[in-house]
Amino acid sequence: MTEGPARMPGERAAVIWGSIATLLVVVSTIGIFLVAPEDADQGVIQRIFYFHVAIAIASLVAFAVACVAGILYLRTRNDRWDDVGEASIRIGLLFSVLVVITGSIWAKASWGTWWVWSDPRLVTYLIVVLIYAAYFVLRSSAEDDRKMRYSAIYAIAGFASVPLSFYSVRVAESFVHPVVFTSGGANMPGSMLIWFVVSQAAMLALFIALLEVDLVGRRSERALRRLALRLEGT
Amino acid sequence: MRRRQLAALVRKDLRLELRTRETIVAMVLFAIVMLAILQFGFGTRDDDLTRFVGGLMWVTLAFTAVLGVGRSYVAEREQRVLDGLLVSPVPRVVMMSAKAIAIFLYMTVVEVVVIPLVGIFFVKGPYWESIGWIAIAALLANLCIALAGTLFSGLALFTRARDLILPVLFLPALVPVVIAAAGATYSVAGGPHDMSEWRGYCLFLLAYAILFSLVSVATYDAVFDD
Amino acid sequence: MSGGSQYVVAAYAVIWFLVLAYVVVLGARTARIGRQVEAISRMLDRRDQREEQPDSEPDPEPEPSGDRA
Repeated sequence: MTEGPARMPGERAAVIWGSIATLLVVVSTIGIFLVAPEDADQGVIQRIFYFHVAIAIASLVAFAVACVAGILYLRTRNDRWDDVGEASIRIGLLFSVLVVITGSIWAKASWGTWWVWSDPRLVTYLIVVLIYAAYFVLRSSAEDDRKMRYSAIYAIAGFASVPLSFYSVRVAESFVHPVVFTSGGANMPGSMLIWFVVSQAAMLALFIALLEVDLVGRRSERALRRLALRLEGT
Repeated sequence: MRRRQLAALVRKDLRLELRTRETIVAMVLFAIVMLAILQFGFGTRDDDLTRFVGGLMWVTLAFTAVLGVGRSYVAEREQRVLDGLLVSPVPRVVMMSAKAIAIFLYMTVVEVVVIPLVGIFFVKGPYWESIGWIAIAALLANLCIALAGTLFSGLALFTRARDLILPVLFLPALVPVVIAAAGATYSVAGGPHDMSEWRGYCLFLLAYAILFSLVSVATYDAVFDD
Repeated sequence: MSGGSQYVVAAYAVIWFLVLAYVVVLGARTARIGRQVEAISRMLDRRDQREEQPDSEPDPEPEPSGDRA
């Protein structure tokens, strides 16, 4: 066991992406707090925006990855895609919980209450959290092959309901009070935009790094289980 | 050929239901009880519940849908019809469509009772005209409920805590339908009588139905794959 | 303009906290894997000893091979 014959697939990727993520997170944190200009309306509070939105987008990417992994699992029936799907959804769920919490803090800071039912972002992310929390409930109540198949199908159906919930909440909002959509979004000055882009890259790298680490862990768990089975056999 | 299979499967479901009437009667009763409970829960101190009633009605219908969808595969599972169906050369898409049609019809029957009844409490404009617009939105919502419900009940069918899994899977996916249907109901019945708002919600329901029918068709083969 | 800076700190603290908690969960799994590997290697040691004493059959090479994914 001292030297494996070959590196485990993904081992190097985990190290590389971990380093990239660390670097980017450090750079973006410095940029957000020390370099980026203070927002004229919102003041310091606006600095929540950078990671809040970046994490939101990264969580959507995670769910998209899980959806693609689900399709690939149904096509190939290769366990590896089930691993990718579950790991991505777990990270995506973590990220969307973070979006809800930071969004709630932001709401408290700028509107004075922790929760605003008329803010589409908060409400949609709550729905997204509910959708993907159900994924783990489904997983825990089926076995083996069926578990992987159901998870793959649910990852696809769940990803279809994400844009639907986004849109449904926005349709409802647009009739109640029109402009909620851009808060520092489209009309950001370049000096802020660049730090948003760096934060976004940092969060995507963090997602990939966590995913790779998780996958390496899953692979070793699986290898270990195989080994244990073989030893029991002899 | 396919159409004959589909008709036969739908007829099977309806005949089973007509023989016992257990699902539909229970669904209608459940909806009425639930509405009464909601009304009591909100209290009568605030006299004007009309703004909420449309929403309450759709919440109730969503729960009723979960109930009905949960029942929809019971005969198949308990009397081992499913085993027979799965080995028969009926394409999975046909099976799925038959189930969706059955759920759609059940929901429609429930709504035929519930919407005019509840409508008395919140429709402010001309009664039958408003009910008509609500009915169109309701039919679209039923389409969404039937398509998503068929998929999720298929997923929940062989899981361990089946009765618990279905609402957990199905209700979050129904949130957009409830939002849109309640919005459409409010827009034509409650106050503003705003047809463009109604149209927006109906288009959304249509988009939901189309998206979920694509997902269902793409994945349904894999649901029953053993 | 330090109005509300405590909220910014809170938001970033929550992010750090949960991400690190997730890393701890991953670490806990790695620790479990390590424990199991240890248990297996101890089991192999014991078996090797047992096999050396009666000296009956050659070792069927129980070395864990590299994982092919």
